[in-house]
Parts: sequence; structure tokens; C-alpha cells
Amino acid sequence: MKTQWLLLSLVATASLARAGDDERKAWTILAEKIYTSTGRVIEKGMVQVNNGKIAQVTPSVEEGGAATELKVYAVTAGLIDASARLGVSLTSVEQSTEVQPHRRVAQAVDIFAPEFERVLAGGVTTVLVNPPDSNVIGGLGVALKTAGGDTLESRTVRADVALRGAIGSQPSGGNRPAFGRATDFFNRRPTTRMGVEWEWRKAFWDAAQVERDESKRFPGIERMQEALAGKLTVSIQAWTTQDIRTAVFLKEEMEREKLGSPRLVIDAAAEAWKEPQLLVRSKTGVVLPPFPALGRTGDGAFMAWNTAQLLHEKGVVVALSAHGAADLDERLAAQAGYAMRGGLSFEAALAAVTIHPARLFGLEERVGSLEVGKDADLVLWNGEPFEPTSRPIGVIVDGVLRVDPRPAPVD
Amino acid sequence: MFTILIASGLLAAAPERPLAIHADKARLADGKVLEDAWVVIEDGKISSVRSGGEAPEDSAVLRHTGWISSGLVALHAYAGTPRAELRDTTRTMLPEARIAWALDPARPEVADCLREGITSLLVTPARQSLVGGAGAVLKTAGGTIVSREAQLSLGFAAMSYVSNRYPTSFQAGLAELERLLEKPSGLLEKAKEGELPVLFEVSERSDVMRALAFAKQQELRGALSGAEWTGELAKSVKESGLSVVLPPIGLGEERRALRAVLSLAQEGVPFGFGLDAPLSHPASLRLAAALCVREGLAADQAWRALSSEAARIAGVEAQLGALAEGQQADVVLWSGDPLELTSSVQAVYVDGRRAYTAEGR
Amino acid sequence: MTPSLPGLVLGLSASILSSACATAASPAKARPGGEQPATEVLFVRAERLIVRPGVELEGAQVVVRDGRIAAVGKDLAVPEGARELAAPYVCAAYLDPWGALGLAADARVDSATTAGTRAADGVDTYGNKELRLETLRAGVTCVRVQAGASARVSGLGAVLRVAPGLSPAEAILAAESALAMSVGLSANAPNQGPSFDFVDGQLVQRESSARGMDLFDRVGDIDRVVTAIEGGRSYLQSKIEHKHELAEWQKKITEKETELDKEFKKAKKDREKEEKDAKEKGKKFEEKKYKEDKRPQPPRYDEDNEVLGRVANGELPLVVQVHRTAELRGLLAATAKHDRLRLLVAGGSEAMNCSATLVERGVPVIVMPALVGEGAVDELDGADLTLAARLAKAGVEVLIGSGGGSAAASRDLPLLAQIAVGNGWTREAAFAALTVGAARALDVERSIGTVERGKSAELLLLEGEPLTNAGRVKYVISAGRVVLTPETK
Repeated sequence: MKTQWLLLSLVATASLARAGDDERKAWTILAEKIYTSTGRVIEKGMVQVNNGKIAQVTPSVEEGGAATELKVYAVTAGLIDASARLGVSLTSVEQSTEVQPHRRVAQAVDIFAPEFERVLAGGVTTVLVNPPDSNVIGGLGVALKTAGGDTLESRTVRADVALRGAIGSQPSGGNRPAFGRATDFFNRRPTTRMGVEWEWRKAFWDAAQVERDESKRFPGIERMQEALAGKLTVSIQAWTTQDIRTAVFLKEEMEREKLGSPRLVIDAAAEAWKEPQLLVRSKTGVVLPPFPALGRTGDGAFMAWNTAQLLHEKGVVVALSAHGAADLDERLAAQAGYAMRGGLSFEAALAAVTIHPARLFGLEERVGSLEVGKDADLVLWNGEPFEPTSRPIGVIVDGVLRVDPRPAPVD
Repeated sequence: MFTILIASGLLAAAPERPLAIHADKARLADGKVLEDAWVVIEDGKISSVRSGGEAPEDSAVLRHTGWISSGLVALHAYAGTPRAELRDTTRTMLPEARIAWALDPARPEVADCLREGITSLLVTPARQSLVGGAGAVLKTAGGTIVSREAQLSLGFAAMSYVSNRYPTSFQAGLAELERLLEKPSGLLEKAKEGELPVLFEVSERSDVMRALAFAKQQELRGALSGAEWTGELAKSVKESGLSVVLPPIGLGEERRALRAVLSLAQEGVPFGFGLDAPLSHPASLRLAAALCVREGLAADQAWRALSSEAARIAGVEAQLGALAEGQQADVVLWSGDPLELTSSVQAVYVDGRRAYTAEGR
Repeated sequence: MTPSLPGLVLGLSASILSSACATAASPAKARPGGEQPATEVLFVRAERLIVRPGVELEGAQVVVRDGRIAAVGKDLAVPEGARELAAPYVCAAYLDPWGALGLAADARVDSATTAGTRAADGVDTYGNKELRLETLRAGVTCVRVQAGASARVSGLGAVLRVAPGLSPAEAILAAESALAMSVGLSANAPNQGPSFDFVDGQLVQRESSARGMDLFDRVGDIDRVVTAIEGGRSYLQSKIEHKHELAEWQKKITEKETELDKEFKKAKKDREKEEKDAKEKGKKFEEKKYKEDKRPQPPRYDEDNEVLGRVANGELPLVVQVHRTAELRGLLAATAKHDRLRLLVAGGSEAMNCSATLVERGVPVIVMPALVGEGAVDELDGADLTLAARLAKAGVEVLIGSGGGSAAASRDLPLLAQIAVGNGWTREAAFAALTVGAARALDVERSIGTVERGKSAELLLLEGEPLTNAGRVKYVISAGRVVLTPETK
């Protein structure tokens, strides 16, 4: 048992990994607190990383050994931003028709965008990237690591993670009624929420009926069928109560009509606190947007500080997101802190940024907690995680040290 | 620089006798320097290049104080076409379009290129089309189109997409290209068979990544054009076998872009310099080479990028880009080393005829 | 308050003295906690030393001490504790006489500048470290900057050192180097409505209106310049006259006082007698009143005219940015009678048409070569690469600058000079223009421009001849410090 601990706190200058650290070295991390996200907290323990995977998580400490040692205050699993919106732009979503279920945003993500490095420095190791919500159904999202090789494959945690779309005012924004105007791509339906909902329902109904009626076929219909069957998670952005209601009712209608049972996750569910029973009874997971400073957020929705706590109490699976922000007061670690300020316990907040997003999107085999065999994605903290006085001083992704907690050598 | 004409009758008309030019030094295709060089031109072609000795009998002799080299080959130019004609905006995919039909060699910007020592241009369709069509290789004097189907332009950058016309996204664009190449015909078929190189118009590294994946999937060969940081992915580019056409490098260029060029050279990726004339000044071609040399690129490599390597990327290396026997006689007489910015063009020959003489000579 | 000297001479000599102080380089003292180290003693060995254009020494050495060149020669002894450097070529570092590096960005675009605006007040010596290092790597160590780059009157320029981490005192080589104005720039054309281009079947608004000015606007601009100079001149004159008058008035007062002093006793007796008489007679006694002449008032202090006066007098050079023939001719004609005025033309795209007058009047031209293709929008963009050569051939003194529009452009100046040489200019002339020519035109040749004893140590240590591809910069010495080494990133 170690008697002496180095607190690499405010003195340590965390620096982006030095050249030569690209290899997947073996690491031994010694920490006062190991928060595994499984419910188990280890005090004064050790995490061993080998070959890109977590090799050991244990309260017994062996010093020495071939691996490079890092001594920090706390370790958590790498954070997962369930709705990162990074590396995408208008050219990442196909808007030629409203329903494009087969388009894969992975082909359009710019993995070299500097934003990835910035959120990495904040402790986020995995991000969910979806097509921007300018289309009713935009296509298939992807889960990516925020650091890795120069190819998409090297960064992909899981491809085609969810079928993405939106309910609300965003997909109809920019559309205008076609009467009496010159031809323009955007002179078309839908121009209102009801039009958007109509598109959703039509897509599902067509998918259900296409086996009997070939005229209902459209490109990507196979994906809608998978979604209907519950094999492909459906991620719908719905900020306000009425939009959340619409999404849940849509799912319940499919079940009622025995067309299928979609597995629903609602993104940016800012007003989910108003009618939590909808989410509970439909077993819908929720990804919350960043906490707004003054209450009002996207689409005019109002998000209270205790939203996360309220939903968690009711048993809803809650994940947090920062929408790709990297600033100290907006990043994912700060969002977890805000949720705690609103009453959420630390364990639940930690789960909301690690294991819950992993489970919501089927990534839990690889990421989301500190368990043997999972990807070696770790965040090293200089204090209690999510406290404003602490910050991530080290980040390991796939066993490669990306942010170095050790002070830089003096020139 | 003073040049002495020993024989008579050397005007614009094609000489009947061979012309032997002597220069103090010559830049060869591989970048090496030949001293005391004799270059003999006959019937519009270079019949011999050697060091020392005498002119062949009954040849007209021209003694030049300075250097001699093959004409520069500028990749990715728009000179010779009116700006509005570069891109058909009604459709983003025009697989059978050939820029050769839009060329007007009499346009003044072509002569501007000639005066800077550029003897051939790879004129390409604008970068904003998804399938732009076939580019062409044009001589800057005499109007000869050396190749009417030099390469096929495919758009892989964000500028190929607008939000009010199908396709609006990379995903759909790639799907369209795949569809077109599934049962290709015409130029697309030639590209698929590997007969026609493809010019992948890129801008960012993610575009390069996508283009490499697509080229591998479809087994296409050709070059990546327009991304200044392509060199940061040099290893992947080397694996793919594609070449690189660099975007115009101008004054005030960030060092990062120049270091990326060095990475390409280090990995052995063939590359040439792009010009975008007349949007950029024709002198930018040599300036780009000088900036790279200043950053650390080997001089002979820079020369190859301006001449023989560029000709190979344009598919015309058998006829152009080298000061060698059998090549077309496009030579330039310089006041000094062409890689030095302080040197200037003294005279240019295209197809063995004197096409330009600098003032005051 | 009696002045001891006649006012006329004093006024003039005082202003000359003050401007001389402003242009003297201030040697650097070690700053504790500052970025740059204390100045060291340097011993530079050169295989070839270019002292000034046309004077080269083989196997020479230079000793630098306290920021200045202490000795130049062959077979010099190495001073104790000196840091030794060696290079194949050593020469004076380059000066960009028309640049923008070191000036705060908003000062550069300020449109409310007047003649009294001092660029030295808007200097930003911090920041832009990478750009500064790249500029040093290109060989440029000093830049003349002006606030309000395209304004009609830009104010007093300053010559700044480029190296990062210098204290403000060291960074400013000359706080008042020249007054700058412009004539006929499209950017200043009045009544500029938006103008459009037809691109791809759509109307696209141009960024700047390339319509230029019409005849009346141009004449107006020239008139403005001339009126300003004449205003400055008459202000200076009235100041001098005032001093003269003040002296006269003082003289008169003194004379009167002495007079009264002499007759004091008698005057006193007279006064007592009068007083007594008045009292006896019952009249009121009135003091004898002496009327003093009113003290002459000095002309009201006018900051702008202070500067314009110095320009009219020839103490400060005047740089006028002007491009077109008509404006240039008009300007030269209108300023012909101001024989003390020291004029420099900046830009001069069409200066060939007035080359004879320029040669006759000894007006140098700072050309701004640029590599622009079809993108040229107005006269500021389409600078001709052969202009330097053609003007030089006609006998005009040619200098080369980066245009003052962008801070980054100074870095490319030597490359542009090389391209200009490739277009007919001689390399010797280009080198002279970048060093001693620019320094002389801006009145800083006592501090920089050549490698001579007493001047500020601004040196380039090159691997080959300057202005060639082989002539890569190894070391740069500025203000007597090594500010760039091959190891500098």
C-alpha cells in the first residue's frame, strides 16, 4: 500500500501527448479514487492498461513493473457525449427528400476537425455523431472515438448506431409553401410540425406495408423496417413537451397497430421533466441538451436545473450531452456538474456521461465503464470529477496517452 | 543576356534545317544539371541532348548565355476558357463533358503563361462539379491540344454540394458516383478500366480520406488535387498509388502547407504544382517551387514537379516535360537557373518554333 | 521672461534638435523578466561582408556591443566573453519602408487619422510572435508603419523593429519617420455606391468599388495635400514671426523700463508736486498712465499644423500614395514651388509617365510589386512586376515595400524583390533599395542600412548571396541581440 501520494493538481501542466507516445504502451494508473461506473468505487487502487484494453481494476497496488506509472487523484472511464454534433455541417445531411434513412453520416464526418481534439482535452473519448437535423429523417449516426488514426475505421466504435431524425420546428425551417413561387428545392412540405409528424408516420406505415404493396417502396425503406422491428435504435430530437409527446405517441401507435416496437431515444429532451410518465411507460431513453443559463433553450423549450434528477428518480435512463462544446463552463464535465447542482447524485451523474450513453446506443461492450476487457478509455482527474475545482489532467484513448498529466520537461 | 545568332533566317517560320542550341547549363528531366549543353531540335522534336562537342553539320546554331530547360507544365489551370464556361451549373454531373470544346487558345491569359516559361497547361473543369468531365492539355503557343481527354474530374470537396440541389450531402454524392460507376459508359467506363486517370478535386484532409477510400473501392488511378495539407496523410496517399496536384502556393503561405509538401516528397509521393491561372498569376508556378525549395525541398525534386512529374500526372510524359530525345521541342531559354526567382525567361520555343522572345534581345 | 537669444534661430534649431533625438536609436538595456536576453557582445565572422552596396570585404569581422556595431574590419581581435558567430555572407538587414507589422490592427484601418496622428502611439509590440519570426527569417528586421493605411492623411509614421519580445523603447527605432498621405485612392472616392459584377448569371456585389475617382475628385485630393502643406508652412511662419514679435515687444518693454528707471527721482518729485497741487486746488489726483503695447499672442497650437510645418520645411519627408498618371502629374506640378518639401511616391503604378519629372525633382518611388492574377480589383492590387526595372532604367530612385495593407506582407518582401529582379531590375539595386536606400529616404540612415561603426546592429548572417535561393538566413541580429538562430522554430 502506498503511503505517499503525489497530488498532481493545479501545479501539473497537462499537455497534449509528446511525440513518441503514440504507441499503445502499458500503463499503470494509481489513484486515490477509481470510479468504475459499475457502482463500485475503489479507494487507493490501480488500473492497468495493456494493448489498448483495460487489463485490471483492483484495490491491491503493485508498484514497479514494466508499465509506465501515472499517479493521479481520480480515474473515471472516458466520457461519452451522446449528442456531440462535431465535424458535421450542411454537407453532412441529404436534404433532397425529407426521408433519407439509409444515408450514413460517417461518410461525411471530418475527423480532422480541430473540435475533436478540444473535446478530448475535456475528457470526452467517445462521441455520437448524427446527421444535422435539417431533414425529417436524416440517416444513420455513428459512434466515434475523439482520437485515433487517420481513417474512419480506426475511429469507429460502432457504425450505424441509430436512425436519426427530428420532430419540432427545425426540419420544417427553410421550407416554404409551393404556391405561386419560382421552383426551389425548399418549396415543399412540410412547413409545420404536423407535416413533420406526417412524414414520420408515413415512413413507418410505408415500411410496414411495403411487403404487401410494392408502390410504397422508397430508398432506405429497409432501415425503417429495422427501426420498426426495434433492431435499430431510433434517435429523435424533440426539445419541447409537445414534440416529446409526439415522438412517444408515434412509438405507441406503432405498438398499438402491431406494426412493430421501435426502441426510442429522445435527444435534446429539454422539457422531459414536464411529462416524465410518458417516458417511463414507453421505456424511452433520454439525452439531455446542455443546461441553459437562463432556462430557455432550443425550440423555446424550458429546461429546469433539476431535470436530470427528476427523470432519474422516475427511473428514466438519462444521458447528458454538451453538443460538442469545449469551453470550461460548457463542456460535458461541466454539464455533469450542473446536473449534480440540480440534485443528481454523483454516481448518477457519472453514469449519465459514461455507462448510460453506452447502453442507450449499444456501445457497452466496448466503452462506458472501467471493466476488464473494455477499451482503455480513461480520464485522469486532479480532484473529484465534475467539481469546478477539478479538471481532467490526463486522457487515454485506446491505450494511447493523448493528454499527458506529467509536467512538461523544462527546455 | 546576349545571344549570338550565327546562322541566319531564324524567324517564326519553322526552320528547315535542324536548330542546335548551346547553353551554359541545362536542366534535365530528373532535375540534374548538364554543363556545356547542346540541344538539337529537328522537325518540331528534340533530336539530341548532350554535353560538350560541336553542333551537327548543316544545322543552324544558336548560342545562349544562360540556361536551357524544357517548358514548364502547369497543372490545373483555367486559362483558355472564359470563366463562365468552366462549369455547367444546371447539372452537377456531366460525365461526357470535355473542356477541349470550351478552349480558346487566343485568349490573352494563355500568352501570359507562355511568357512565364509555361509551355503546356492542363486545363480542368471547375472544381465545383461532382462529375466535371474531361480536362485537356493545351500548348500555350500554336493552339495545339495535345490531349483531349487527359483526365476525368470528380468532385470530393464540400464545394461540390449546395443545399438546394440534389445531392446536398457527401453521402448521397458518393452513392451517386458509385451508381454511375456500377454500369459505366463512355469516359466513366475508361476511368473504371484504368485507361483514363481521375482527378479527385479535394480541399480538406477529410476529403482526401474519402477520395482515397473511393479510389480503393473502385480501383481508380489518378491524382488528388487542391488540398494543401494532403502531405499530412502522405503514407496513406503513397499506399493508394495516387499522385498529388498541389493547390497554388502563394506568398504568405503558412509553413504548415510547405511542410506538408516536404512530407509528400519524403514518402515518395509524386506531385506537381497547380496554377489556377488566370485566377493566380502565372509566375506563381515558379514561386511555388521556390518557396518549397526555401523550406527544404531538394532542387531536383522541385524541378521534376514543374516538368516531368507534372507531365506524367497529365498523362503526356511521352511527349512533354523532359529535355530528352524524342520529346516535342518545347524549350525555354533562361537568364539563369529556372528555379531561382531572379532568373527570367529569355525565349520560348514551342513545337520547335520560336514562340516568344523577351524584350530587349 | 526675457529671452536671451533672437527668437528666429532658436525656433528652427529647437525643432531640428528634437527631430534628431527622435530618430536616434536607443540602445537596449537588459530587462529583468523580459523575453529578450540582455545584450551581449557578439563577434561575427564573415567570409564575405557586404558593408554597403558596392563595398564588400572578404574575410572580415564585426564586433557588436551594447546594441551597436562597435567595429568592422579584418583581423579584429575577439573581445572577451563574446559570443562567436560565423556565416558565409553577412550584410545589413532589410527595411520595409511601407509595411504594417507591429501596428495594432485597428490602428491600421483607422479612417479618422490626421496629420498629427502618431503611429508610434498605436504600436503593438506584443503578439504575432510566429509571424515576426517568419519575417525575421526572411531577413526583414525593421518596418515603417502608418496608421490609417488608405486614409487621405495617415499621420506620422514610425520605424519599428520586428523582433518579438523587445521592450517598447527598443521596438520603436524612430517614433516620427515620415508623414503619409494619399491621393486618388479608390477607397476614398466619394459618393461610392455599391457596384456589381455579373457572375454565373447572378449579380454579386463587389467588395470594393474599382471606379476610381473622376477628375474633380482627383483635383480635390491634390488640392487638399497642397493646402495642408501650405497651411503647415504658414503656421510655421506665424510661429516664427510670433517669436520675433515677442522678442521685439520685450525689447520695447525693457527700454521703457530703463527709461522710467532713469528719470525715477525727477518723476517722483513731479508726482509729489502734482499731488500737492491737486490737493490744494481740490481736484482729484490722477495717476499718470502708461500704455503698454499688448503682448503678442502666439498662434493657437495646432497639432496637425505642427507636423505639416515640419514637412513643409523639409524636416520630415512626405510619402504620398498615388498611382495614376493624372494625379501624379498634378501632385508634382502643385508641389513644385515648395522647394524644401521632400516628397516620396508610394505605389506609383503609372509613374513611368512622369519619370522625367521624378528624376528631375529627385523623388524616389516605393513600388509594391504583387503577384495578382485576374483577382485585381483596384489600383492597389494590380501592381506590375516590371515597374521597378523600368523606373530604374529611367533613372528614378526605386525602393520596394510591401504595401502597408497587411502585417504579413513584410515577410514576403525579399521574395518579391527577387521576382522583380527576375523581371529586369538589378540585384544590386534591389539590395540597395532594401537596405541603405530605404534608410536614407526615411531619415534613419544614421541608425540602420549599412554595416558601419556606430550604427545599430541590424545584421543578416546568410548561407549564400543575399536575394538568391541559396541565401538562406542563418542568424539575424537586431538591436544588438541574436533574435533568430537556425534552431528557432
